[in-house]
Amino acid sequence: MMMDWTARNLWLIPVLPLLAAGLSALARRRHRRFSAGLAIGSMAVALLLACAAFATAVRHSGTELSRQVVNFRWFELGDGWVRLGWVLDPLTAMMLVMVCLVGLLIFIYSVGYMAHDENFGRFFCFLSLFASAMLGLVIANSLLLFFICWEVVGLTSYLLIGFWYHKPSAAAAAKKAFITTRIGDLAFLIGIVWLYGQAGTLLFYDAGQGCLDKPALAGLATQITSLGVVVPTAIALLIFCGAVGKSGQLPLHVWLPDAMEGPTPVSALIHAATMVAAGVFLVARVYPLMALTPAGSHSGAAALVVIAWVGALTAVFAASIAVAQTDIKRILAYSTVSQLGFMMLGLGVGGVAVGMFHLITHAFFKALLFMGAGSVIHGCHEEQDVRRMGGLRKFMPVTFATYAIGMMALSGVPIFFSGFWSKDEILHAAHAWSMSRWPFYLGVLGALMTAFYMTRQMCFVFFGKCRLALRQTPASEQGSVALPGIPAPEHPQVEHPAEPHESPALMTMPLAVLAFFTVTLGFLGTPAWPWVQSFLEGEHTALNVAGLWRPGVLLVMLISTVVAFTGIGLGYWLYGRDPLDLQQTDVLERRWPNLFTLLRRKYYVDEIYEWTFVGLNAWWATACDWLDRWVWEGAVELIAALVVGIGWVDRVLDEQVVNRWFDETCRSLSTSGGLLSRFQDGRVQKYLRVLGLALVVLVLLLIWGCRAS
Amino acid sequence: MGYEREAGGRGMSYLELLNLAAPEAIIALAALAVLAADMFALRELELHFRLAISAMISCVGCVAAIGWMLALPEHGNVMGGIFIVDPLGQLVKIGLLVLTLFTILISLESNFTVHAGEYFALVLLATAGMMFLVSTADVLMIFISLELTSLSLYMLTAFDKRDVQSAEAALKYFLFGSMSAAFTLFGLSLLYGLSGSTSLEQIAASIRGPRLDPLLVLALVMTVIGLGFKVAAAPFHLWAPDVYQGAPAPSAAFIASGSKVAGFFVLARVMATGFKGAEGSGAWHGYLPGWVPLLAVLAGLSMVVGNFAALVQTSVRRLLAYSAIAHAGYMLIGVLAYGGSGLASLLYYSLTYGLTTLGAFGVVAVVQQQTGGDRLSDFAGLSRRSPGLAICMMIFILSLAGIPPLAGFVGKFYMFSEVLRPGSPGMGLLWLVVLAIALSAVSLYYYLQVLKQIFVAPSPGAGTWVSVAPVTQQVVLGALALAVLLLGCFPGWLVQRLAGAMAPG
Repeated sequence: MMMDWTARNLWLIPVLPLLAAGLSALARRRHRRFSAGLAIGSMAVALLLACAAFATAVRHSGTELSRQVVNFRWFELGDGWVRLGWVLDPLTAMMLVMVCLVGLLIFIYSVGYMAHDENFGRFFCFLSLFASAMLGLVIANSLLLFFICWEVVGLTSYLLIGFWYHKPSAAAAAKKAFITTRIGDLAFLIGIVWLYGQAGTLLFYDAGQGCLDKPALAGLATQITSLGVVVPTAIALLIFCGAVGKSGQLPLHVWLPDAMEGPTPVSALIHAATMVAAGVFLVARVYPLMALTPAGSHSGAAALVVIAWVGALTAVFAASIAVAQTDIKRILAYSTVSQLGFMMLGLGVGGVAVGMFHLITHAFFKALLFMGAGSVIHGCHEEQDVRRMGGLRKFMPVTFATYAIGMMALSGVPIFFSGFWSKDEILHAAHAWSMSRWPFYLGVLGALMTAFYMTRQMCFVFFGKCRLALRQTPASEQGSVALPGIPAPEHPQVEHPAEPHESPALMTMPLAVLAFFTVTLGFLGTPAWPWVQSFLEGEHTALNVAGLWRPGVLLVMLISTVVAFTGIGLGYWLYGRDPLDLQQTDVLERRWPNLFTLLRRKYYVDEIYEWTFVGLNAWWATACDWLDRWVWEGAVELIAALVVGIGWVDRVLDEQVVNRWFDETCRSLSTSGGLLSRFQDGRVQKYLRVLGLALVVLVLLLIWGCRAS
Repeated sequence: MGYEREAGGRGMSYLELLNLAAPEAIIALAALAVLAADMFALRELELHFRLAISAMISCVGCVAAIGWMLALPEHGNVMGGIFIVDPLGQLVKIGLLVLTLFTILISLESNFTVHAGEYFALVLLATAGMMFLVSTADVLMIFISLELTSLSLYMLTAFDKRDVQSAEAALKYFLFGSMSAAFTLFGLSLLYGLSGSTSLEQIAASIRGPRLDPLLVLALVMTVIGLGFKVAAAPFHLWAPDVYQGAPAPSAAFIASGSKVAGFFVLARVMATGFKGAEGSGAWHGYLPGWVPLLAVLAGLSMVVGNFAALVQTSVRRLLAYSAIAHAGYMLIGVLAYGGSGLASLLYYSLTYGLTTLGAFGVVAVVQQQTGGDRLSDFAGLSRRSPGLAICMMIFILSLAGIPPLAGFVGKFYMFSEVLRPGSPGMGLLWLVVLAIALSAVSLYYYLQVLKQIFVAPSPGAGTWVSVAPVTQQVVLGALALAVLLLGCFPGWLVQRLAGAMAPG
């Protein structure tokens, strides 16, 4: 099997940004252009290589070369070698292009967005490091390498959320993100170790020996744990815990909205398009393991059922929270959580292609939305509360147009927007799911709410009249203080030019490019021409319009169309006709104040965690501290005092008794030496006398012995 | 011991005797050659060259003798033990020759005499005496060899004719030596009278009995006096401090090394072979008269006297003399473990001790040449004046003190564990070993005082002395230090050879 050049040199793709990160870490702070140029240049080359890899994957689609694996030895462990490697298959190729493209656009956008930040170089260093780790994760052919990159991705996420670490809220958010995802990672690691113990390898594909190859899976399927759960299911669920943490699924979603404390390009790149999708990608990557059914069983894979339910619940849960938020980025953050739930749902009910298609389309339109939001924030002088915006349509036409495209894609407006097709795919799969209909209903509800909250946001931000000037009034300042959950503006400003303005071309150009992809990507996965699906599954496809009329397909399409338009209409009816003022309470709040408060406070999940886990932890820490301070330290102090006392006694004994005795002994030894050597006075007569004396004494000694015996 | 050739009776061939005694003959010839060369050819040359050429001839003789023994390992027993050649004896002779070689080499730079030829000839004659001493089991032959050795050493002691101390030391040495020789001769003649034979084995055969004859006791003590004098065991040590201090340094080194090795070997042989059956017991509560308790008393006395008297010495040579007495005590313990590997441990100890003390005297000689004295204060700051010499001296001193991983430690450990080995005649001598170990601790004090002077004390008036030791001296001393270190690190090399040579057949 001849391997392609691109497959053999796939490692270059993550290594290039890594080099860029290393070099810009060495650069001085004022070398801004160097850092940015390096990052963007490395990303551009990586994109070219990714495109080449993609082309290779397309060329070999459906052949035995569709999966090309390069494994190498890392170090020796026990009897065997720990091996790492990379893999080029359709899944990798698609993710590579997506990450590189979105990454490149966001890098370019960041140059404009971060132009005024003094730590410009550090920002690009972190971004490059992130890109490197993310790409490494994508190409990894070993769960170990995957996990390493996964952790580096988590680290960069932490670093970038806390990029403005002088803000306490940013520092806290960074910590929260890191610790929360770490909970999932712990389970993930346990799953990895267990898998290694069972399969003996962590390579995904290794010429039939890897843990995702059929022999290993067949071996795993026969094993049952003591709890009655099949081993692969248990491992899959543990691995899924990692994905839950990283992708912000229930119940570990709490970090993602807070992560919006980071700079907006970070939110776009890491917390919308790529990193949070890593969890989805992980599930897609180990899908064979997830989909494994116990030998002899005919029911569906238990792991997939769990994934589907978690995804569906997350989708609805997060969408409902987004309805009541007022921070532009937070709305998008909950939207991201919700959409990630959709992806999980898609994976659970439909398979890799369904989930991955939504992942790709979502990456583009969510990046677009975030960057649009960034543009809005930038144009409104770091204002993030949607109630203080309004009427920006006139001031920021490009941002408005692209944002609208993103919004429609997210809402699922039919035919022309990619979000419609990918979401429709998920709903279709959920509709066809044999286990239960409920995920489908939840998905429809989620889609409805998605359309609704996006319309609400659009109305607040771009329609009506501009309320930005109101910010100057003391009343609004008080109102801002009263509003919970809204972070302080990113850069407290001294003066406020009232007029919002359009962002520079450096920021709007990437928006336009993303908008283009947002529209076009959808056509790669329509039921009439499901190219993405067949590419991932290694089949050939042809345009088949009749696919649209297959039973079920049209029904679901109609339902989602109706749902989308219902949501948009509802939103416009409530918010668009009569734009609110800042002082007015929300329309929904007037109607259902309790429910709205519940949603605005995010179902009090943070508070619940605060009272339970954090409280328990704090209580435990206090208890430990008390124990340490009073019991252990007391014991230590006591022992220390005892030792000091013994030492004192010892010293007294040493000085007064031992030393004195020793000194005395030494003195007497010396004296005796002196006496002995005085005996040696040099008189030979005496010497000879001694000789004679010795003879007599020794003879007498022996004779006396003879007599005695 | 089964000898290959039992040249019994009267009809032995002189050629065969010559063949067996070839190494001794070579040494004797070398002595004559040195004398002749110095007398006829070298008179007109500078002292430096005379020393070098004489030393070279002597060295060639020694190396030839060593080579002979290595190349032609002989076995033989002439006239019932008068002259014995066996692997062990040959190994000891090789050791003696190596010590002689080093003695010659450290004498190279000496300036105490103008009679180079005579000096080296006497060294070689003493060596020949020692070689005969270790290759005989006949009391007559032992006495003659002892006298040959002793007379040569008296003269070597007196060789610095310009120094009154040297003459005084030689006189004392001579008087003490001849007195003890007289005792020995008396003792040996008593033995002959008791047994009617001069052969050690036959003496042993005839004295075996349930009780010790008072005459035998007298003979035993008198014999021990002569040999105790040779090895400088207390109370027959009184000559040693004066001689070590007064004799020229190389002579003192030779007396302390080669003569000691030979002395201990013959002492062990006389006691173990000639007084077999008269061991007695030296156990703490099981005193039985015999040579074991006798030697045990001497050993304890030597260790006590040597170590305590060394504490107050200010002259490094006297210090080394007392240290030598103490070591004689340790080695007497080795004699008490005479069976099998006990003898090997004794020989290992005495050979490594010989090398060490040679080195120490070599350093003293250099320092004395540089500073004109051998007081402790003369060593102050040696580490800055001459670091190489200081490191060599450190190795020698620490080895004497018995610090691992040097040969002195291994030797002590090996020997003490041999004494306490089950089945050893010295088994009951735990008290002696405990005493030895305790006194080793005491000895550390005076050894470390030397090192303290060398490494810690400031050099008084640095730069006033020539700071560079002669290259040959440094090389020789370095080689000795290296040997001490290597023998300490890899004792198996020598021990296995000794054990192999002792294996019957």
